[in-house]
Amino acid sequence: MVKIVTDSCSDITPQLAQEFGISVVPLYVQFGNETYRDNVDLSTEEFYHKLETSKTLPTTSTVTPVSFAELFTKLAEETKEILTITISERFSVTYEAALQAKAMVSKDCRIEVINSQSAAGGEMLLVISAAKMAQSGADLDQIADWVRKAVPRVQVRMSFDTLEYLRRGGRIGKAQAFLGSLLKANPVLGIKDGDTFPIARTRSRTQAVDFLVNFVKGFSQVEALAIEDATTPDDLETLAERLKDIVPPERIYRSKVGPVVGTHVGPQVLAVSVLEAE
Amino acid sequence: MRCDLADGQTLKEMFASGTAWLEKSAPDINAINVFPVPDGDTGTNMVLTMRSAMEEAKRNSDSDVSSVVKSMAHGALMGARGNSGVILSQFWRGLAKGLEGKAHFDGREFAEALVEASKTAYKGIVQPVEGTILTVLKDASRAAETAVKDDDALASVLEAAVKSAEESVARTPSLLPVLKEAGVVDAGGQGLYVLLDGALQFLKGESGKARYRMPHLVATESELVPRAAQMPTHLEMPYGYCTNFVLEGRNLNLGKIEKDLKKKGQSLIVTGDDSLARVHIHSFEPGQILEYATRLGKLHEITINNMDDQYAEFIEMQRERMPPVDITMVTVAAGDGFFELFNSLGSAIIVPGGQTMNPSVRELLQAVESAPSDGIILLPNNKNIISAAAQVKSLTSKKVMVIPARTIPQGVAAFLAFNYDMNLEQNAQVIEEAIKKVRTIEVTRAVRKTRLNGLEIKKGQFIAILDDEDLIARGDMVGDVIVQALGRAGAEKAEVVTIYYGAEIEAVAAGEIAEEVRGRYHNEVEVVYGGQSHYNYIISLE
Repeated sequence: MVKIVTDSCSDITPQLAQEFGISVVPLYVQFGNETYRDNVDLSTEEFYHKLETSKTLPTTSTVTPVSFAELFTKLAEETKEILTITISERFSVTYEAALQAKAMVSKDCRIEVINSQSAAGGEMLLVISAAKMAQSGADLDQIADWVRKAVPRVQVRMSFDTLEYLRRGGRIGKAQAFLGSLLKANPVLGIKDGDTFPIARTRSRTQAVDFLVNFVKGFSQVEALAIEDATTPDDLETLAERLKDIVPPERIYRSKVGPVVGTHVGPQVLAVSVLEAE
Repeated sequence: MRCDLADGQTLKEMFASGTAWLEKSAPDINAINVFPVPDGDTGTNMVLTMRSAMEEAKRNSDSDVSSVVKSMAHGALMGARGNSGVILSQFWRGLAKGLEGKAHFDGREFAEALVEASKTAYKGIVQPVEGTILTVLKDASRAAETAVKDDDALASVLEAAVKSAEESVARTPSLLPVLKEAGVVDAGGQGLYVLLDGALQFLKGESGKARYRMPHLVATESELVPRAAQMPTHLEMPYGYCTNFVLEGRNLNLGKIEKDLKKKGQSLIVTGDDSLARVHIHSFEPGQILEYATRLGKLHEITINNMDDQYAEFIEMQRERMPPVDITMVTVAAGDGFFELFNSLGSAIIVPGGQTMNPSVRELLQAVESAPSDGIILLPNNKNIISAAAQVKSLTSKKVMVIPARTIPQGVAAFLAFNYDMNLEQNAQVIEEAIKKVRTIEVTRAVRKTRLNGLEIKKGQFIAILDDEDLIARGDMVGDVIVQALGRAGAEKAEVVTIYYGAEIEAVAAGEIAEEVRGRYHNEVEVVYGGQSHYNYIISLE
């Protein structure tokens, strides 16, 4: 069976990873001199608590090729085919690290690396779909071909209370058009061509939730949906409640914005990712 | 001998790592380069200067640090580009002076050399400006000096210097107003921080890892960030030519050269010694500068860049970092506060006008024609301007969508609702929906005694009008009138109440009214300066 590998920026929960047999390689979060493996040494809850209380803002660093290579080598004992899906190259050099690792593996095993051009829930939907295909017996070429074609059908929308974290981490991209506003707003951003892109601004969290719901309504057919919150489970509940009549609940995956992504987007983020049907 | 003593080869390795780190962040450094000239080349210039220094270092296999650092200083001098590059070459010159005659160096000696580097850098500049690479170097060297007292290991001292450099970079906007206005930190300072940080990574054994990391850029503390669309597209004052060369001669008198060239341009730096000098100047007549210099000796490494071309490229580069502008919002507004507000919300062309001064069809047409895009969303923001706006449509070849916004808060709502992911027609639709959800209360004084909607109004009384139509409250106290009007307008159902106060209203008075509204209706209340003249207050309910 093809093994599916991804990085922790896909926000795949340990439960989902186990259910679909996905290997998740953690990136790192640093608070000062302390380094944590994303969602391994530091849970999402602990992370947001630290984010609020720590004097130093966290930074992140990527997976080294060696960690990827070690995992590939281990997996190669059970399989001859590995598919790795990474976060967009614009946000992290994880893709490059995975490519380097591919060259380091001497075992007889085919490894494909695909840049998801996305992150968080968007990346997650590609990974879960790939894992489902693997479980139903598809081979590496079939899955890789499907994922590459699915990449443009993935859309992410995130609502923010502040763009400060995104700005400080240098991942704001073209959404910098939303900085400097003299009115308080809850901006909604998307990911386009692998980079952050401004979408629109709302005046309150309620309006932001409305915006996200309307965004999903705009699709004629949704193959899968991922919804995530960082520190606002109530909002996620509201969102899930309002979306359940639009998309069948079995196609909705719930998760949390993890520590590494959270370092760059900050608390209070709500994210909706859609994989549009073919 | 102590085990942590470093030699010339260590220094070389440190700065090879530093240069690699600097190369990685060069594009980001270029993008924030606004001082002294926004030509977007600081990162590149620093990299080129460091590369030249490293080339010289490579050829020197001496273990003595004094020998290696001297080679690097020579390389930096020969290869220095631009303002920041020349200052960086001064840094190396100072470092070489500080480490002169030494075979090895430890933290203490490195700190002393940094102090010397800082002094030398300041001396090389005719008019040192704070909030630049100079300040960052000074702060870093001082921190290194202090750190020695606790722990004189090289890595600890450099770590203290790097940390201090980072903090210093973050402070640059508070020292140099042009940075604050642009919402950036100093590019040269950022470059120096990254260079030292890269050197530190080598000492910590982390330079390998660095290949898979992105350099951390120091973000400015200030909230305002530049917007490409707001940058001037043509210059009022040209910048001239950035002129750079190395002068080789005998008994060169640097002081005299400096004095002679001072009047011929800006950003002058003359560094080096009596046999080899580096000259950097921004001048309109580079020919004159070269002619003068050839009289003193031989010229090498001559580079002359047209900074106006560079500036145009810089603007282009900034544009690429912004979403494409294929739709422009043209909006009518009155009041300096509203002008700023609209500007902060996106690429806008503002036509002054409002209740007491309706802009003409021609003025609206001019604004539409001057917009950088073919798609236009036109916001009249007053019912008396809607028909003029509608006429513009047939007078231009551009695609104009006139949104029937009747109040300024509706215009603001239109800006917020603008969706970058949609085309002109879709946006017009979304915006029309959005403005319907906004209610506007305008508060002014009655100009004469009258009777309206069954209400008796005395001259000078405050009146509140809902959605530019219905008189809904009147009274002698403005606070009471507002609270009453909000009640009639359904304030308890609104999530956000925004109070835009006029030119003649004190911020404190507006704040007090906001408190009252908050207490009464429990919504989020935002107070914003509108600066309008006719209405004391304009209030929006969303």
